[in-house]
Amino acid sequence: MFLAWREIKYSKTRFALIIGVVILIAYLVFFLTGLAYGLAQENRMSIDKWDSDGIVLADESNLNINMSMFPKEQIDDIEASEKASLGVASSVVQPADESDEESKINVTFFGIDKEEFIFPEVVEGEEFESNREVIADISLREEEGIEIGDELSLAGMDLTVEIVGFTENAKFSVGPVLYTNHPTYQEIRASGFGEREEEIISAIVVRSDSEELADVETNSEDLNVYSTSEFISNLPGYTAQVLTFGLMIGFLVLIAAMIIGIFIYVLTLQKSSMLGVMKAQGISSSYIAKSVIGQTFLLSFIGVFTGLGLTLLTGLLLPATVPYQNNFIFLASITSLLIIVAVAGAFFSVRTVVNIDPLEAID
Amino acid sequence: MKLIELKDVKKTFQDGRKTIEALKPTNFSVEEGEFVAVIGPSGSGKSTFLTIIGGLQTPTEGNVFIREDKFSELDEKERAKKRFDEIGFILQASNLIPFLTVKDQLKLVNKIEKSKLDEDKVQNLLSELGIDHLMDKYPSDLSGGEKQRAAIARAMYHNPAVILADEPTASLDTDRAFEVVEILARETKKEKKATIMVTHDERLTDYCDAVYTMKDGVLTKNQKK
Repeated sequence: MFLAWREIKYSKTRFALIIGVVILIAYLVFFLTGLAYGLAQENRMSIDKWDSDGIVLADESNLNINMSMFPKEQIDDIEASEKASLGVASSVVQPADESDEESKINVTFFGIDKEEFIFPEVVEGEEFESNREVIADISLREEEGIEIGDELSLAGMDLTVEIVGFTENAKFSVGPVLYTNHPTYQEIRASGFGEREEEIISAIVVRSDSEELADVETNSEDLNVYSTSEFISNLPGYTAQVLTFGLMIGFLVLIAAMIIGIFIYVLTLQKSSMLGVMKAQGISSSYIAKSVIGQTFLLSFIGVFTGLGLTLLTGLLLPATVPYQNNFIFLASITSLLIIVAVAGAFFSVRTVVNIDPLEAID
Repeated sequence: MKLIELKDVKKTFQDGRKTIEALKPTNFSVEEGEFVAVIGPSGSGKSTFLTIIGGLQTPTEGNVFIREDKFSELDEKERAKKRFDEIGFILQASNLIPFLTVKDQLKLVNKIEKSKLDEDKVQNLLSELGIDHLMDKYPSDLSGGEKQRAAIARAMYHNPAVILADEPTASLDTDRAFEVVEILARETKKEKKATIMVTHDERLTDYCDAVYTMKDGVLTKNQKK
């Protein structure tokens, strides 16, 4: 590290530029990761919130909860350690006193029973007591300025609901969730399908005490049990989106390795006559190689951590509408991955160092 | 004591189908405290001679001894180690590392052998060479003469047996060149080194105990003037 650090201190501009590039790449990678994670979260947050193991959907729904419906009494056909009925309906709402296009919000209604385990924790306001009362995701207040007591009217229907409480982390398909009771849910979903006598639900969320849902049984041919993770990866667009971001991030990490590797390689080539002299003096290749690797480590360490700092700072300043979210496990693993691949890139140059002939220093 | 000795050392190169004898069989030795010069035109085999002594290449035949230890039969890695311990190089273009101060050039030696920098030794050595006030300067801040003095300090610091100087005055004017060679001669005596200087400038040989001429791979000792 002696040589590595002395050289960085001596050629400040040159190394500042290299570190600058590393910072920018690291920043981009971290930021994309934050966005990818945030977006993925907004798809699945309300599902993770259930802390469930499995979900029962109608057999013909092809794991699409929007296409799944069956009578509520079929919950008795399911055996599981805990179960909760869930009705899902997407809808468009608008503050009751407004009528312009701008104020319309895409939401998903979750019809639930107060006594069942998927009932959300209310962080502000109260739980719903009667029909047409809803608990909403807090983002409705943060992004749309809606407060407790506000009335929302449903687009295309003569129906308004009242916000009585807020909960956190309740997003589904990148939109806020409104929780309501089953009777209200029946009214909302009936809008598209006409009156039905029986109560219809979309899914039964289950918890299981054994692995792989072994203790969950359905006594109905129309219903199927899926694990929660299978359900999440089949959310419309979810897997495609996670893969897209994953590929981008993976390539960026590789590109970062190549760029740092090339920089270090060019620097090593530039220094080759000096390195030849050092080798003539009897300084071993391994000492010089260690110094090259050490220098790369220093450069990537400084660059990556500065990039990380900038990302965290940006995260604080972003408006709530940007789906950016930090996940410290991801950040930590990308930090170490970036540093590891950068150092791996420097191994290109080790060969050059080994091949430098000290004879050339004399001739 | 012979600090360096060459016994029947010969070096040949293969150039296509021709075999070139760069160094004809040579016997040569330098005692401690002895300062010898090797002069000769370029292409005469001077460099080959110097690099064989320095262990940068091995002789085709014969052996090189340092402090009476066989040197030329060690493998590459051990030779590098021996070179580091026993040979101080002074090269024509200064062999200083551009991003290290004069003091750090010496400190690097300590770093490699994982020992502590001896402040007194550095101070004494640099003031001996008249550059102790330049301790914290980078090579780019030094004049040619000062650079070569710093290179001498670097070569001497590790207390090697042999100092090899390859055209150490090439980039200097006459006055500076004499000054550097004088210092080299003085330090050789005082520190009991065996110093071999390769040069093309015959005027500088006044300070030397013996002068050899290299011509077409043959090394001959000159008669003292």
